[in-house]
Amino acid sequence: MPNYANPDVLVSTEWVAGHLHDPKVRIVESNEDRALYTQGHIPGAVEIDWMVDLQDQNWRDYIDKAAFEKLCIERGISNDSTVVFYGDKNNWWACYAFWVFKLYGHGDCRIMDGGRKRWDLDGRGWSSDRVNPARGHYTATEQDGSIRALRDEVLKHQKAGKQLLDVRSPEEYRGERTHMPDYPNEGAVRGGHIPGAVNVPWPMNCKEDGTFKSARDLEKLYVRELRMKRRSPTIAYCRIGERSSLTWFVLKYLLGFGNVKNYDGSWLEWGNCVRVPIAKGGEPGGAAGPSATTTSG
Amino acid sequence: MTSVQERIEAIIGEFADLDSREKLELLVDFANGLPPLSAEYEARKAAEDRRVHECQTAVFLWPDVESGRARLVAEVAPEAPTVKGFVAILAEAINGHPAVDAACIPDDLLERMGLADVLGMLRSRGLRAIVGHVKRGIAAKTAASA
Repeated sequence: MPNYANPDVLVSTEWVAGHLHDPKVRIVESNEDRALYTQGHIPGAVEIDWMVDLQDQNWRDYIDKAAFEKLCIERGISNDSTVVFYGDKNNWWACYAFWVFKLYGHGDCRIMDGGRKRWDLDGRGWSSDRVNPARGHYTATEQDGSIRALRDEVLKHQKAGKQLLDVRSPEEYRGERTHMPDYPNEGAVRGGHIPGAVNVPWPMNCKEDGTFKSARDLEKLYVRELRMKRRSPTIAYCRIGERSSLTWFVLKYLLGFGNVKNYDGSWLEWGNCVRVPIAKGGEPGGAAGPSATTTSG
Repeated sequence: MTSVQERIEAIIGEFADLDSREKLELLVDFANGLPPLSAEYEARKAAEDRRVHECQTAVFLWPDVESGRARLVAEVAPEAPTVKGFVAILAEAINGHPAVDAACIPDDLLERMGLADVLGMLRSRGLRAIVGHVKRGIAAKTAASA
């Protein structure tokens, strides 16, 4: 049975239950629905919210280095902490928070496999107690551009015909929807996908209980069936960058792809951009896309 | 008996002075207080298309009018306590009151409760859509029974 490329990065609910009082370990919950944490969380876990805590509230970007340091200090996270992320929705937001922590250079990040769902299925209890951890000591690095793709880079990547993954639903990929079935607020003025992108909807990474598929199944999907190359630069995107951070995690940590970036601007940016190529329908489409006409002004 | 307007003001007042953690706790209290569907509505859920399609999660709403009075029955998936709490607040504000008064639920109720900042913009817009859904539903029922 082949193992994950980085097996240590996934921990089981049992491991977490055994480390609830470990001062080196900080458990972090990140959810789509914030009130879930309030209702009940893993005892001792702190909450980090993707929208309120991790995003700058004025401009469209993540919080800056100083704000990230402050967040960690307040949540009791230090540079040498083992930070274990978990959450609802198959760990979408947990992976997203994991990715932002890597963006700022945090060393030891883990994902609790299966998230809230698996914790529940395993019959482990929730706590609604308030958690007030002792302050941490934190110095972040500058943002690590090697895991984040911005629009211009995606455009170059696309034009060069490099590996692109669209992890949205097939309806979104084909351009039949400009938003996810239940998320009309996150729409774009154009539907379709980035030409050349292959559609691998994120649920293909997960099992029914919320845990990740085996190394063998993931390898079969990405490497054998889709013929993706581990050494080729790869960019993943979705609608707002959360589902693609899950796929980013799978490619980078579970399958050992050497150069994977998450395009967090994703379709909410691309589908609203002026003069970027878009393909419609079920096929990836040509890498070149429609050639931009030369105009001035 | 207090009016819808007064109840809304009272709920806004309850949330006003709380910090974000307390606001979420109060929202969860409301969510926990939303009664489960009766057998009648369970049956109707299977037969009728009551799912709110604008919503991020499984939300079923029956904005209704009985003898001129508003009644909001709802079911919200347990994995979405924020939506559930907000729907429970709407039900508490209008149930038993003259249906025409449902129109005075402010569209920006969430902002006025101070929850918009706690939840963030994308989530707030989804909840705003629920206010419109309930108001339109009650208004349509009122018009139909007039």
